[in-house]
Amino acid sequence: MNRIKISIVLLFFLTSFLAFSQQQDDTTQGYKKRVLETVEVDILSSYYTQDGDNAAVTGGKGTEELTDATGTIIVSIPLNADDVLTIDAGVSAYTSASSSNVDPFDGNNAADPFVASSGASRDDVWTNLTASYSHTSDDRNKIWSALASVSSEYDYFSVGFGGGYSRLFNERNTELSINATVYLDSWTAIYPFELRPFAPNGNGLNNGFFLDNTIIGNANYNPQFTPFENENRNSYNLGLGFSQILHKNIQASLSLDLTQQQGLLSTPFQRVYFADVADSFVASFQLADAVEQLPDNRLKVALGGRLNWFLNDRVVLRTFYRYYADSWGLTAHTANLELPIKLSDRFTVYPSYRYYRQSAANYFRAFETALSTEEFYTSDYDLSEYVANQLGFGVSYSDIFTKAQLWKFGLKRIDLKFYRYDRDTTFTSSIITAGFSFEVY
Amino acid sequence: MIRTLFLMALLLCSLGSCVVVKEYEKVAINDPDMLLLEQPCDRNVTIAHTYREGAAGANGGKTGGGCGCN
Repeated sequence: MNRIKISIVLLFFLTSFLAFSQQQDDTTQGYKKRVLETVEVDILSSYYTQDGDNAAVTGGKGTEELTDATGTIIVSIPLNADDVLTIDAGVSAYTSASSSNVDPFDGNNAADPFVASSGASRDDVWTNLTASYSHTSDDRNKIWSALASVSSEYDYFSVGFGGGYSRLFNERNTELSINATVYLDSWTAIYPFELRPFAPNGNGLNNGFFLDNTIIGNANYNPQFTPFENENRNSYNLGLGFSQILHKNIQASLSLDLTQQQGLLSTPFQRVYFADVADSFVASFQLADAVEQLPDNRLKVALGGRLNWFLNDRVVLRTFYRYYADSWGLTAHTANLELPIKLSDRFTVYPSYRYYRQSAANYFRAFETALSTEEFYTSDYDLSEYVANQLGFGVSYSDIFTKAQLWKFGLKRIDLKFYRYDRDTTFTSSIITAGFSFEVY
Repeated sequence: MIRTLFLMALLLCSLGSCVVVKEYEKVAINDPDMLLLEQPCDRNVTIAHTYREGAAGANGGKTGGGCGCN
């Protein structure tokens, strides 16, 4: 019976593809519409805040307070009727209380995992530049693209490049795509302050820090610390996509992303406290027993689906589901619903809800539960088991005729959105985003 | 789970051949809210999720590169 069912499904599937191949492409070759009529400029900005009590920098116990302000400009330039060059430049400035505790002994504030330090690691700026180029065939059914990117922050540098190909079939009702990207990243490893004297050629407890400060608890402090030899991290991504118009009001897509990461996947300044080692403190701060140790390989598989339904002239339903699994034993489900409601020709509101659930990675150990005999361990609660709920609300203004003009810029669209994210732990975050789209004359 | 998703993919492919929506019928499909992507102004929200959550990918967001470790 099962065989018959499978045969019917396969026959139906085969028939479907034969049907695709028999359809005529009705693209007119005479007049060629430009892929992009004018230069377009998008300006995106966001302000993000988070807080929680499980900072990875302090071994899973400490403030996770962080703020981040990001600004991005994206300029799309039509080079001719078929080719578009897009330049995407962004700057993100953040202040992180937990990162500040890479060195909690700055002398200005109390050395405490719940108190931010004023050290150099307290803030940083991330900058990114991505250039991408796309070429569309004369019949507008084939699109080739290529991209190159570079990003930098104080202790991290990343170079990326990649390409993609999309093919539209069936009078543009069906699209298949493939893309691949490679990121070659490198760390400038920074370790917790108290571990640095224990690196090879360090002077251990004879270091001035330990001579100037009294160790409380286990005075024979002897952490397990060897700096990482390899400071590179490479990521190889392969993405496959399929989208289909199902009805004049419904379309859906499926995507599969495979990512292989290699190299230094641990974060060098994230502390771990062992359950089988006596605790040592300086002031209120527990000294690290080690930094997190994670495998130098990780394979990630993500399978996602979207279905968008134009319910009526006022309401659209946008849905998304993703299943994720990786070789560290972490699995996750993500579901997202958004319901754009058009209040008028120009104003739309965007209520949304997102559900996220993940299992813990095999190597996750809660605060002070890792054992010194284990090979891999981390107390990064981003890799723990949790459920998160996110509520969002946004409003947009759009004007396809770009009546509002400033010099050569015609305002096409403004978006403003707010999201509140809560885990079933102490972690919460909020983000407010704003986007402005212009056409340049 | 994988089997279910595979069957969903088969169903989606099959349904596609049952209907061909002509260009002049794509008014709703071409609505900006019908895009099968994250909306542009949600990009930084997706990046925040990528950095803070164990899962990433299959949503048009970043799947590698960058640190996000703070």
